[in-house]
Amino acid sequence: MKAYNVINTRLPRVDARAKATGDARYTADLSMPNMLYGAMLQSPLAHAKILNIDVTAAKKLPGVRDVVTWKEAGLVKYGVSPARYDEQVFCSDKVRYVGDEIAAVAAVDLETAMEAVSLIKVDYEELPVLLDIESAMAEGAIAIHEDFPGNVSAEVHQEFGNFEEALKECDIVRTDRFTNKRQDGGFLEPQACLAQYDLNGNLTLWSSTQSVHYVQRSIAMVLGLPVGKVRVVKPYVGGGFGPKAAVNAMEIAACLMSKRTGRPVKMLFSREQVFLHSRARHQFFHEFTTGVKKDGTIMALHNTCYLDGGAYSSFGIATIYYAGSLLGAPYRLPNMKYDGYRIYTNKPTCGAQRGHGGVAARAGWEQQLDTIAAELNMDPVEFRLKNMMKTGDVTCNDFNMSSLGMQECLEGVRDGSNWAAKKGKLPRGKGIGVACGFFVSGAGYPIYRSETFHSTATIRLTEDGGGVNLYTASAEIGQGSDTILGQIAAEALGVSLDDVMVHSGDTDFGVDLGAYSSRQTLMSGHAVKMAAEDTKRQVLEALSEQLGVTVGDMDIAGGVVIFKKGKPDFSRLRTLYIKEHRGWEDQPSGAELTFREAARVAFITRGVIIGNGAYKPGELGGKYKGAAVGTSPAYGCSAQVVEVTVDEQTGKVTIDAMTDAHDCGFAINRTNVEGQMQGSLSMGLGEALFEEVRFDAKGRVANASLGEYRIPTALDMPNVKTVIIESDEPNGPFGAKEVGEGAIMPTIPAILNAIYDAVGVRINELPVTSERLFAAMKEKQKK
Amino acid sequence: MLLLPKFDYEEPKSLPEALAMLSELKGNGKVIAGGTDLLVNMKKGTVRPACLVSLKKVEALREISGEDGGLSVGSHVTISEIADSDRVASTFPVLARSASCLGSPLIRNRATIGGNIVTARPAADLPPALLVLGARVELRGKDKDRTVSLDGFFTGPGTSVIETREVLTRIVIPSPPPFTGADYIKLGHRAALEIAIVAVSSRLTLDKPDGVIVDARVILSSVAPTAIHAVSAEKALMGQRPSEDLFAKAALLAVGDSSPITDIRGGAEYRRDMVNTLVKRTLLKAFNDARDMKGGNA
Repeated sequence: MKAYNVINTRLPRVDARAKATGDARYTADLSMPNMLYGAMLQSPLAHAKILNIDVTAAKKLPGVRDVVTWKEAGLVKYGVSPARYDEQVFCSDKVRYVGDEIAAVAAVDLETAMEAVSLIKVDYEELPVLLDIESAMAEGAIAIHEDFPGNVSAEVHQEFGNFEEALKECDIVRTDRFTNKRQDGGFLEPQACLAQYDLNGNLTLWSSTQSVHYVQRSIAMVLGLPVGKVRVVKPYVGGGFGPKAAVNAMEIAACLMSKRTGRPVKMLFSREQVFLHSRARHQFFHEFTTGVKKDGTIMALHNTCYLDGGAYSSFGIATIYYAGSLLGAPYRLPNMKYDGYRIYTNKPTCGAQRGHGGVAARAGWEQQLDTIAAELNMDPVEFRLKNMMKTGDVTCNDFNMSSLGMQECLEGVRDGSNWAAKKGKLPRGKGIGVACGFFVSGAGYPIYRSETFHSTATIRLTEDGGGVNLYTASAEIGQGSDTILGQIAAEALGVSLDDVMVHSGDTDFGVDLGAYSSRQTLMSGHAVKMAAEDTKRQVLEALSEQLGVTVGDMDIAGGVVIFKKGKPDFSRLRTLYIKEHRGWEDQPSGAELTFREAARVAFITRGVIIGNGAYKPGELGGKYKGAAVGTSPAYGCSAQVVEVTVDEQTGKVTIDAMTDAHDCGFAINRTNVEGQMQGSLSMGLGEALFEEVRFDAKGRVANASLGEYRIPTALDMPNVKTVIIESDEPNGPFGAKEVGEGAIMPTIPAILNAIYDAVGVRINELPVTSERLFAAMKEKQKK
Repeated sequence: MLLLPKFDYEEPKSLPEALAMLSELKGNGKVIAGGTDLLVNMKKGTVRPACLVSLKKVEALREISGEDGGLSVGSHVTISEIADSDRVASTFPVLARSASCLGSPLIRNRATIGGNIVTARPAADLPPALLVLGARVELRGKDKDRTVSLDGFFTGPGTSVIETREVLTRIVIPSPPPFTGADYIKLGHRAALEIAIVAVSSRLTLDKPDGVIVDARVILSSVAPTAIHAVSAEKALMGQRPSEDLFAKAALLAVGDSSPITDIRGGAEYRRDMVNTLVKRTLLKAFNDARDMKGGNA
């Protein structure tokens, strides 16, 4: 492998100092002179007609500066996918879930704004509340959206190969069911925003978001402003995991009220509002019928899935496709049939969350594969290895595995966990399980149909040559993209990471679709690499004119100019630089011409040096309907082995150890790759054992707090052994691809398979609480 | 957003000053210790005291001291001080164990033993252990002081015999008889930040290492409106020779003594099963400790 100076290292994150000291400012920390505080009225009912909204008393309250409802906001429909724009900023005709937005108030302080909200009087006519798929699909059920009778928000039917024909060749055919539970994003920073509409009609919104670009477009469209007049800025963000990947009503309300009052408006979600806004993981009801030959060859899968979508579509159109398409790999599967139904219910809207659409499918199917391996009397690792895809394989749904270190991952966790010494040899109550998975490395298409670049990047060198400013609209949300993109820029330009100042998360810095679908490293990374190479070319061209050395005979690396065919006399340039900096103490010296000197020459001869990069994926596979969801320039993959202890008298599961291998193509920052692996495992562990958003009979969230909605604590995490696999992705910058989401795929099924190994019980409903497992063991004993 | 309502805040420097203040406030004042429960409830609007009286400057309430082989713990001692105290660990390890189960390390740094008692939450972690230890609490008022047994302290979820003008000042645990052992087990979902699904504390005293049970206490938590004695289990254990069969019988009786409900943390049936499991486990541990003790510790 090529030697690098900056990438493939363990450099500290560029935001480490700011975050460790508390210096990092998040949106809630922002404040402006004359700022108003906003608050929203959200529906207390899950389904009701709005008969009248009376804001008189709220408007009269001293300190209130604005009260807005649909009358002020208008009736423009928006959402995530243009095919399903089904939301309005404020409800006009009816409310569809507890939390649906009805009005907003801006006042001189938050207390006043909240009091004013409580003074808004709404007359409702209650409608039947549909809280689950069965009641929403029942004959004669009221339509939550008039245009969608039967409450089917989306339906997908796909068949690749021929499922029925393939079954005829199979010796084992199994049907199993699996369901997860609705999750909450559980990010530590609730959504927050600050809007400022200035005297020249320019709107700036600071917001805790995963995508400044999508928020910018949505706000411009809903408020009827030119995109160029709307700037969206993302300060530091404390996690997103999917739910912050699209605009929310609060952001639009803040912009609207700032525009109307001419004053900055700040709004914040409480933790309860985070649960009400949701847009997190759906509940999926899967049924898998899988056919396998007796030699262990996987032949066919029919996957049926019902998704409980909640009141609106959000990312759901993508979710329903992913719930099918993400089983196309990493095993050779020639025949795959999928039927998906996303159903509207009177609950908060579900959307995207880490491992978008594929996590429950993966969990259920990998558990079924384990059952099949047992029926075949095959070791689960061997069974998986036998069916494993390799680099260059194309799935039946036309995903090109342009790099796939799946076998290396599986062998890595097998050896790293000492599988052979443990599988089948552990005492009762102790178990070991394995699973695999894969994920896209960036959605192949934007969420709206467009030929747009997915990422642009600009590098501007400071005129003294001392600094490299990188501008990108990508979103650092805690995952580390600022560090990764800074490292890519530094490596490609030939300087150190300390020389690079990363300016990100601002629509003024370019176009970037944002932090979702694990796209920042590959897509923004490409744009940044191109910008750095463009910058380097310009510097070398300027230098070439001065030194008479052809550009091809020079390079920049490690902060100095490399002369491949002997060093020319550059003393004139050095003297020039030193004369310009009389009195400075850090004058360039030594035998090498520094980047600083070269960049200074470039400025003096050419003006400001600006390098540009822009990336969009090349031609991708799949011509069938829905191919836009799941096709990606590259795919990451992973395998995990989990070891558990089950307390048979209580049902309590303790995760003793996890071994995780992930193929990230090439690790730009090894520590960051491991961080994403560990974070994925933690989220998967939570979904497997603890997490479930619960509702009462009226559709109110029963556990809208981090006290009663249980994400894993640090004490619940076992020690994790991480194994980084690097398969050198041809479509990735420096060979890099995703790690942020794919790493969650094997976690849940590996836990489930380990539990089975420990106590012989298969659990097909998450979370595996001690109560659920205890009941299952009790049930088994009865038989 | 949940906003803290406006309130006055006082930091009296002595107990008499605090008691006079509370008396003057006539029920509009509330004592704040760690605030881990109170401030949350004030944000939710379920309690609205006009004035909070903090006891953090009253040094006397922050002491742990030995007393005739027993223990006296000031009400303002934090849970982490109890969990980490050598004195507690060596005299009443079950108390240290229950303290280490409360909330999370961060909450334990703020929450106090007094607060964990007076909030009278059915799933509170310290009361079960304190009940098996026979703890008494000292209640001081402006004009009268009294000491009540913790057994008679709780009257329901969130309610107790303490009056608004009284302050719980210390917890007194009597010296244990020889050959005594105890245990506390809390069953929750996560390793921290949990409210018990079921918790059980048991204590056994033997007349001699291989003798019969002369005192038995079994406290069940989260399966009734307050922590309760498993009366029939305790009765069945008295005078008997310890054995796994006896503990299994006692555990089944304890299930009958419990009256769990189904709520967001767990189902009634599962809770009954867990009473069975945890009573057996705590009795076994209590017995092993009692037998191994040369006497004196619990």
